[in-house]
Amino acid sequence: MLFRRIYQFLIVYFIGLIFLLLIKAVLSLSDYVIPGVGLITETFGQVLNTYFFDVMNTMSVTVLGQCISIAMAFGVGIAGRKSSWMGSFIKVTAYNIQAYPIVALAPIIFILLGDGFISRLLIASMICYFPLLLSVLGIMATPVEDIEHFYIITGRMRWQLEVKIRAFENLSKITTVISGSATLAMAGTIVAEFIAANAGIGYSIRVALYQSDLAKILVALFMIGIIISIYQGCLETLGEQIKTRWSVSKGGNTI
Amino acid sequence: MKKKNLIFWMFLFATALVATSHAGETELNYRLKWLFNTSVAGDIYAEAKGYFREAGLKVNVREGSPEKNAINELELGHSDFGVASADQVIRALDKGAKIIVLAQLFQVSPMQWIYRTDQPQIKTLEDLKGRNIGITFGGNDETVMNTLFAKAGITKKDVKIFGVRFDFTPFFKREVDVWPVYFNSQGVILKDKLEKEGEKVYFFNPADFGVNFVANSVITSEKTWKNRPDMVKKFTAALLKGWEAAMEPSNEADVLMEIKKKDKESNDELRRLQLIATRELIKPLASIKIGTIDTDAWKQTETIMLDEKQIKKPVHVETMLKN
Repeated sequence: MLFRRIYQFLIVYFIGLIFLLLIKAVLSLSDYVIPGVGLITETFGQVLNTYFFDVMNTMSVTVLGQCISIAMAFGVGIAGRKSSWMGSFIKVTAYNIQAYPIVALAPIIFILLGDGFISRLLIASMICYFPLLLSVLGIMATPVEDIEHFYIITGRMRWQLEVKIRAFENLSKITTVISGSATLAMAGTIVAEFIAANAGIGYSIRVALYQSDLAKILVALFMIGIIISIYQGCLETLGEQIKTRWSVSKGGNTI
Repeated sequence: MKKKNLIFWMFLFATALVATSHAGETELNYRLKWLFNTSVAGDIYAEAKGYFREAGLKVNVREGSPEKNAINELELGHSDFGVASADQVIRALDKGAKIIVLAQLFQVSPMQWIYRTDQPQIKTLEDLKGRNIGITFGGNDETVMNTLFAKAGITKKDVKIFGVRFDFTPFFKREVDVWPVYFNSQGVILKDKLEKEGEKVYFFNPADFGVNFVANSVITSEKTWKNRPDMVKKFTAALLKGWEAAMEPSNEADVLMEIKKKDKESNDELRRLQLIATRELIKPLASIKIGTIDTDAWKQTETIMLDEKQIKKPVHVETMLKN
């Protein structure tokens, strides 16, 4: 799973790069507009180390932001799963908050909270949270009737049990959504850094953009892609292991 | 029926007349460095007053941004002329771009620093020591400040550097003492805000300490310059005519009205103050002709960038300056 993620990314990245180099060759563009292979390689050597730590900095915010958004999505999803007035109110509120583009809210967040860690974390969580919420709400609001029915008629159904049943019966969906949301959390963090932070790979991209240095931006994209592929690969592997264990505990081979 | 026919033929005639009147015009695109505001008064005025049209040109003046870079657009053929700062031009030349500089709009760089008068005035570069100085990492203010540090033998240990961005909160909250601004735009806004709070400000201008980092200049591609010399001449002349007229104090009200049509963000008084500040930078002395290229300043900018390792080799920028 991990290696598949990495080579899939490498294929996409190099197809993109070749496309850019073709445009450069066809239109006879200078290295200022699209850098040549030599310049990209040279820049790679120069900034690899710095960008690696920048991406790891971004990654730390991403992971934490994703954890927060998972907790938030599950919190709201569980609270809003009922078709009661309160459930519907929570859902509508959650949807309405998301209606504001985060990029528009980001400057306010930065003014209020400064351009440090908290702002980046908040923006990353907000960008990652909504798609997660939609999936969690969908899962939590759909009863697993054949299992739940037994507990309901025996009077043993509690909300914790209901959540557990729905979560484990949809484990495959949940792990897919969580691993997919890693990309969103990363994108959220980079957007936050790009807008106003003073650290991370998004910030480095902004500096490179000031200097119209596309070679640096290409290196940054490479680093982001590789690291996020590894992270997603790890999440997927973890998800697979959880599913396998769950399946074994149920006495089956796979879910 | 006859009346309808008459209207139809009159409409057709009018359309043909309009089409004919534009048929002789050469359409071209001009990419600015930044958004429409008072800093581009001359560009706006040249278009609004029909100076381009008089020269037989139909010029689409377009706003710029870090993403909408004039040099990229010249190479890609999306624009015919553009505005870029010297550091952008020199960096592009270093990477093989073929750019020609036609005119230097700002004779004095607008890139300056603002600080409050309740702090000791910066009379020598030594006075920078111990201050908390704002810098846009990657921006040309970083290069300028690094040059000033090098000139004064100031190391990063002697000062506190603060990475700045678009919002001025750290300066208002006094977390940063010396804040980088464009003198004629943000400088005016900040000065106005602080004065309303009863605070006075100074501006720290690197040019006063011998660092002349050239700002906005009009550029075109070498190809256009070689292949369409007449058009280049007409465009430059019309543009500079626009700037001359826009910087003329007697035209102030008219210029401000034209700017207002494009820039609705600022208020009237701020625009007026910004225009006065812009005049100081574009035409600091009556004897200076607008658009004059200060070759020595360009060479100094190149030297600074070489020293700062922002370019790998000398680009001999003076060979690309065609005033």
